[in-house]
Amino acid sequence: MTQLTQRSTWGRSRFGGGSAALIIGSVVLGLGLAIGAGALFAFLAYPQARILAWSVFSAGLFPVLTAACWALAVDRSTLRSAPRDPEQSIESRWYDSAAQGAFHDLLVAAGLATVIFAVLNVEAPVSLVLGAVLLLTMLSFAVRYLWLKRAEG
Amino acid sequence: MPEYRRGRGLSQQALADLLGVSRQTVISIEKGRYDPSLPLAFRLAEVFECRIEDLFVADE
Repeated sequence: MTQLTQRSTWGRSRFGGGSAALIIGSVVLGLGLAIGAGALFAFLAYPQARILAWSVFSAGLFPVLTAACWALAVDRSTLRSAPRDPEQSIESRWYDSAAQGAFHDLLVAAGLATVIFAVLNVEAPVSLVLGAVLLLTMLSFAVRYLWLKRAEG
Repeated sequence: MPEYRRGRGLSQQALADLLGVSRQTVISIEKGRYDPSLPLAFRLAEVFECRIEDLFVADE
């Protein structure tokens, strides 16, 4: 007997239940985690303005953690647009090429920045430098991926 | 490849579903912008019941 998998836009949970249960579960869990993590960050980093920091951190983390919960819980074989064999798809090659290029950009940028910082004796906060590195890597990846998509799509 | 696909009455999406890849992959293969992996080429040959050499020609 053949078992037909019902596919939908948001998919079904790998732990059982339909799309609605998956979405509601992800939102509830994402909200709980965001409130908890927001409280922890606010307590550790901003003891002078805990309520404001807690609100901002929680609001910022909520969509990210909800999406992460959904991604971890969804059974991808029940997603309408998910191919069965993604690593054979062209998007996988674009991803690999873009990631490889971004890594090389990161090496060059980190090398140049190290030389400049050392020669000019510049000091900068670690959080700012790491943020800039992260932004540069993401930007490099995004530009390369979109360029490949335009050229080969 | 488009002739083989049309000959079987398959849309690009239907072929993509049979192969288990994205529709964009089928589009790019048909435009000659993507060389499929060997397993994917074998799967294509299996779907069209032909040899890989019938579908793809090596670059000179």
